[in-house]
Amino acid sequence: MKAFDCAIVGAGPAGMSAAIELAQAGADVVVLDRADRAGGQIYRSAADSPLPDAARLGPDYAAGADLITRFEQSGATHLAGADAWHLGDDGRILFSYQGETRELHCREMLLCPGAMERPMPIPGWTLPGVMTAGAAQVMLKSDAVVADGAVFAGSGPLLYLIVAQYLRLGVQVAALVDTTPRQHFFDAVPLMPRALQQVGNLRKGLSLLREIRASGVATYRYAEKLEVIGNDRATGLRFAASGRQHEVSADTVFLHHGVQPNLNMSRAMGLAHHWNSGQMCWQVTVDAFGQSSVPHVSVGGDGAGIIGADGARAAGRVAAQNILFRLGRISKADRNQRVRADLNDLSALKPFRRFIDCLYRPTEALRLPRDAETLVCRCEEQTLGDLRKGFEQGARDPNALKSLTRCGMGPCQGRQCGHVVTGLLAQWRAESPEEVGYYRLRSPQRLLTLDELGRYGTVQAEAAK
Amino acid sequence: MKADVLIIGGGIQGCATAYHLARKGASVIVVEKDYSGRHASGVNAGGVRLLGRDMAEVPLSKASMEMWQTLDEDLGHDTGFRRQTLVNIAVDEMDLATAQAREAKMHDAGFTHERIIDQVELRERLPHVSPGCVGGVISDLDGYAIPFKATSAFRLAAENYGAQVIEGEDILGLRRVGDAWLAQGARHRYEAETVVNCAGAWADKVALMIGDNVPLSHAAPMLMITARMPHFAKPVVGAISRQLSFKQFENGTVLIGGGAKGFADRANNRTRLDYAKLAAACRTTAEFFPIMRKASINRMWAGLEAYMPDNLPVIGPAVNASRAFHAFGFSAHGFQMGPVVGQVLADLVTGGQCRFNLSPFRIDRFDRKVL
Ligand SMILES: Cc1cc2nc3c(=O)[nH]c(=O)nc-3n(C[C@H](O)[C@H](O)[C@H](O)COP(=O)(O)OP(=O)(O)OC[C@H]3O[C@@H](n4cnc5c(N)ncnc54)[C@H](O)[C@@H]3O)c2cc1C
Ligand SMILES: Cc1cc2nc3c(=O)[nH]c(=O)nc-3n(C[C@H](O)[C@H](O)[C@H](O)COP(=O)(O)OP(=O)(O)OC[C@H]3O[C@@H](n4cnc5c(N)ncnc54)[C@H](O)[C@@H]3O)c2cc1C
Repeated sequence: MKAFDCAIVGAGPAGMSAAIELAQAGADVVVLDRADRAGGQIYRSAADSPLPDAARLGPDYAAGADLITRFEQSGATHLAGADAWHLGDDGRILFSYQGETRELHCREMLLCPGAMERPMPIPGWTLPGVMTAGAAQVMLKSDAVVADGAVFAGSGPLLYLIVAQYLRLGVQVAALVDTTPRQHFFDAVPLMPRALQQVGNLRKGLSLLREIRASGVATYRYAEKLEVIGNDRATGLRFAASGRQHEVSADTVFLHHGVQPNLNMSRAMGLAHHWNSGQMCWQVTVDAFGQSSVPHVSVGGDGAGIIGADGARAAGRVAAQNILFRLGRISKADRNQRVRADLNDLSALKPFRRFIDCLYRPTEALRLPRDAETLVCRCEEQTLGDLRKGFEQGARDPNALKSLTRCGMGPCQGRQCGHVVTGLLAQWRAESPEEVGYYRLRSPQRLLTLDELGRYGTVQAEAAK
Repeated sequence: MKADVLIIGGGIQGCATAYHLARKGASVIVVEKDYSGRHASGVNAGGVRLLGRDMAEVPLSKASMEMWQTLDEDLGHDTGFRRQTLVNIAVDEMDLATAQAREAKMHDAGFTHERIIDQVELRERLPHVSPGCVGGVISDLDGYAIPFKATSAFRLAAENYGAQVIEGEDILGLRRVGDAWLAQGARHRYEAETVVNCAGAWADKVALMIGDNVPLSHAAPMLMITARMPHFAKPVVGAISRQLSFKQFENGTVLIGGGAKGFADRANNRTRLDYAKLAAACRTTAEFFPIMRKASINRMWAGLEAYMPDNLPVIGPAVNASRAFHAFGFSAHGFQMGPVVGQVLADLVTGGQCRFNLSPFRIDRFDRKVL
């Protein structure tokens, strides 16, 4: 079987940027993405938007079209619609492609799986009509679908961006319920001067907030005690702000309080991870070049810790140069010289990141459920009360708790409940998240029919002929 | 730390032994290097199977099966046990002949819990089985339980009687000093009159610390489970000559086994899956149950299991040391035996008497002179 020099999983800014560098240097590179088009989260459908006027989504989105074109012309093989469900630390990737299980081999592997939104397990968060703000954006970018009269709640740049994008398109927004606590503004002040080095990014954020304010949308600040109202489906949001109870009626509630790396691939591979206390999430442990605890596996972009799209591009390029060095295509000196500018940019981004992370740090009240009846695991319908009972029966480890209660056993493979479980156990054990740990994950990363897996052997044999 | 009995290994055998001993009033410490139920006992297929057991195992397995029927009440904790007929499918006449030969042998030995069924009854019990299958063998006492829950139930019940379970503690060495065993753990030291080796896939290492050699090997049997699907099979399904094995739980998920083995890396507590073999299991399952073709696999895993060359466990006293006992090497069917093994060991430890013939399970049964 033929082996690629490098396989990249994820065709977002990180994966595409890396692929361009590798292909330019003559490496045989393949990029897998489950999406039908390259772009990743931020540049989803940027090259062929269904919107009549995609420019309204902002200049960052428009910039994606150029990167996508360069990627598509780079000579890298792009397997669109290829969903990787097993990544072996031996360099073997199994993936679903056109209804079959396919296998490929590579010398070097680069994971660029991006981020996902942090779940917000407030009362009622699983009712129909409650979605993440990112889902609002995905519907908008992929299908030009919007929800009129929705309420947006939470905090963080992505929330404000989506509200602004809605407003620019003339979509009615019932309210923005901002949960950023007052205290966070005080905490972030000392980090401000250094963050000012990234004045462009700061200005972008401020202008979003100004845009929302100017629109006259009802905005509540320092909101607390959020609760989705509704019996069979969401009918609105209840919360406390400025010392009063409020209720906003809406058929759709969009929640958001930041993103966290997609961990499932790196976890299932057994790569080393650590707890990032600034971003309150697990992240894969990598060196300056994105190299993980398994030397021929690298991780780039938001998947290795949240850095944003510009950072993801730079990290992708750095990882690519290091991979070229590892493949013996360039010298160490060449690598060091070629990554210098990107590494400088990446470290220049750090103070800004720290400022943002501090200001929009997810609060415990929104990270962890409060009521015994609130669901933690949607797939297996396990509530906070169920988990507490499991803990009291001696399941102190996330995996023991999973075995006892089924929390995390469903099709999402713990994507939704993983961080919540780490957080709860840390609280109950009065220990650090690092001591508590995370689920042991396994392939497959997605549901596979028996038919599809059953045809694995045959596809192999045909390829060998 | 000091106790009458030190049990090494917090799987179902260790926890069941602790339960029976503590109930008799012994002071017991269980040490477990990871957490209780982390290995085979917590991740197995949950099959509580008497059907098709090796003759030597039938008396123990039968006694265990009786214990399972009331285990939830006896322990005061939920094991997830459900009584459910097990059907071993005969795919052709040759299978039926095998079944008849076994039936004759079983009857001679006085065992009547297995019954041969014909094609009509097979289809009545399993309407979705492929039409070619000719019959089968059933046992009505059989069933399944939830492995981690059952192991926890024994642990909790043992703790109720005062047993101590210490997790995250690896026993690194054992010494017999006078009338006591001294055990060196990674964190603490222990002293006990008696040690019991319930160390699963690591039991040969613990046996060595005690002074016994044993030809134990270990492997990583694999399982897959589907997302929920409409109920289509009440009985637990096996086959006489094929690697076909599955059960549909009450929640609709289907657990597929079949005995295919992945790669075992016990030094690192890890297993790897062999996807080509899992693919073969998919094909077999879909061949005999076409309804399963569109079922969606949700998770796949493997566990570390201890195997003896004759696929029978070691249960009994150490041969090269006093006041030491073994129970390991269950060769992929020890979950069902947990309840009775705990009782047998407790009897051995406290009185030296046992109502079963344990000679097929002696640790030295493979010792012979080689010139
Ligand atoms: C919902 C959402 C919306 C966002 N919107 C914006 C925005 O509008 N503006 C902004 O500045 N930032 C946005 N972000 C943040 C943004 O994701 C990052 O800054 C940036 O896209 C990170 O780039 P990346 O290359 O690391 O990952 P991504 O762009 O996320 O790309 C990862 C890619 O990997 C693919 N993938 C993952 N796992 C597999 C697998 N197993 N098999 C095959 N393919 C796989 C995914 O399909 C995806 O295309 C958003 C984040 C999220 C979660
Ligand atoms: C995938 C799979 C499917 C199976 N299906 C079935 C089934 O359907 N029906 C059935 O009856 N059986 C089944 N089995 C077999 C059954 O699970 C085992 O036989 C049984 O669980 C063995 O129990 P145990 O307590 O001996 O071992 P384990 O559960 O492995 O416990 C031994 C424990 O000892 C600990 N340990 C080892 N060394 C030390 C040390 N030095 N210090 C401290 N602790 C130590 C280990 O960490 C481990 O937790 C299956 C097994 C597997 C792997």
